[in-house]
Amino acid sequence: MHFPSSLVLRARKRPEFGVFVGFLIVFTGFTFAAERFLTFDSIAGIITVAAELGIVTAGITFLMIAGEFDLSVGSVLGVSGMIFAITAAAGLPHIVGLLLALVAAAFIGLVNGLLVVRTGVPSFIITLGSMMLWRGVILAVTGGFPVRYWGDSGLLFALNGRFAEQLRMSAFWFLGVVVILAFILTRTRYGNWVFATGGGPQAARTLGIRIDRVKIINFMVSAVLAGLAGCIQFARFHSVDPTRGQGLELEAIAAAVIGGALMTGGYGSMIGAMLGALLVGMVRSGLVMAGAPSYWYQAFIGIVLIVASVVNIKLRRWALG
Amino acid sequence: MNGNGFLVRMEGISKRFGTVQALKDVDFDVKRQEVMGLVGDNGAGKSTLIKILTGVYKPDSGRIYFEGREVSFGSPKDARDLGIETVYQDLALIPLMSITRNFFLGRELVRKVGPLNLMEHRKMDEIAAGALREIGVKVRSPDEPVAILSGGERQSVAIGRAMHFGAKLLILDEPTAALSIKESQKVLDFVLEAKERGLSIIFITHNIYHVYSVADRFTILEHGRKVAEFAKGEVSPEEIIEIIRSGVAKVITGRCETCSG
Repeated sequence: MHFPSSLVLRARKRPEFGVFVGFLIVFTGFTFAAERFLTFDSIAGIITVAAELGIVTAGITFLMIAGEFDLSVGSVLGVSGMIFAITAAAGLPHIVGLLLALVAAAFIGLVNGLLVVRTGVPSFIITLGSMMLWRGVILAVTGGFPVRYWGDSGLLFALNGRFAEQLRMSAFWFLGVVVILAFILTRTRYGNWVFATGGGPQAARTLGIRIDRVKIINFMVSAVLAGLAGCIQFARFHSVDPTRGQGLELEAIAAAVIGGALMTGGYGSMIGAMLGALLVGMVRSGLVMAGAPSYWYQAFIGIVLIVASVVNIKLRRWALG
Repeated sequence: MNGNGFLVRMEGISKRFGTVQALKDVDFDVKRQEVMGLVGDNGAGKSTLIKILTGVYKPDSGRIYFEGREVSFGSPKDARDLGIETVYQDLALIPLMSITRNFFLGRELVRKVGPLNLMEHRKMDEIAAGALREIGVKVRSPDEPVAILSGGERQSVAIGRAMHFGAKLLILDEPTAALSIKESQKVLDFVLEAKERGLSIIFITHNIYHVYSVADRFTILEHGRKVAEFAKGEVSPEEIIEIIRSGVAKVITGRCETCSG
């Protein structure tokens, strides 16, 4: 059967086409497989998980489009959450703690970026080192104990307060981050440079784009968003334990790839990143509700990641001829 | 020193990379509205000479005059700001990006809104499509990715881009190397059209027959030195090939730089 609709023809050329279809399939699957899946509480729960993951995923996607990669986001999330928790517990104003946490994240991103750009060592290695380094620092500073803080404030509510029973403020942060980064990518000059830096660094340099600067800025964006997610998570749990964020880097990268971002750079979208994070969140809740032991979560995400990557590659060949 | 008919004069250019003398005391010039064929074997120094002229390398010694004024380039941007546009062999196009985004890369049309530089997508689409149409390139839509274009179409986009951004001097580095016969002919037509519009062109190539049909003069490099310079009437394509093969210009008459008598 022919699908003459030009809408379909146009849609398939978008990086997020694959994840959009995947999202619908998994959504439909769980709707039938899990009785309580399609309830307000369940959807709210998915959004809460997906929002925190999605803020990190958006940052990673932004960096991946520029052709680099960040394994340290999980540790950065831990560092920022920890700084926020420790300063709050020590009685500092929350806004100061939040800013300190984000500045620390920006600093880690800056160091990651400078090292990658100046040494030419692949970002995979640099950020693997960075991931281990900062995780170690958290463990050493806390002695392995969690930090708790039971106070409250308007800022903590703004970060991740609960409203309408089950929904959380993090959803707005997620949406805001996605909208802003999508706007930068598609509408601003800087967005053009980001795509060029990842898609053809040599050509971009020839045409006068300062690709090193673009990469460093994007490393910082990725780290700051991971830091923000750490603070948002702290606002939800009122505690940070030293392993907070461990493994999240892989989940975020998986979500970015599921969302259509290319590991080789130059290709991806924020809508894709958002759908990727929502898909991962949906799988996490849906499996539990469908009665599968939660151990199966990782296995299922693994399958989704592989299927998504294969489908995305095929789609891209199809779209680009 | 600043002859009026000359758009570019390079005098006594030398460049050394480590122990390799890439260029030695080379004089090179291009007149206004002239097509200069820059020929020579691999490693003759053609690319190095052009990279000095486009601000990629700094010469160890020598002077560059553009429109009669001595210039010194700190970066490729300096050269481009003067109107020296280069179409590199790799074309400097990014396959995953649209034609328009490639066309304006690094020179996006923007509207300032607060701290943001918003791209004027519609305007850029129109200009890119118009510029390509003008030089006879048909593209379905300027927001198609460059990846779906053929080699010849990509070449056209790169040349169209260079011509659009007000080049006074258009440098084409091996523009026909990867093209079919038909596509090559189109590039040669572009060269003549660009000249018609008043541009000067430097055409770098191995294919003497291609350059011979469009060039007004030839400069022949060999091992980093200029071995000869001819106007088209003074030499046949076969003779140019013979000079490149043998490395000496003695075999024929005409202006010979390296032979004394």
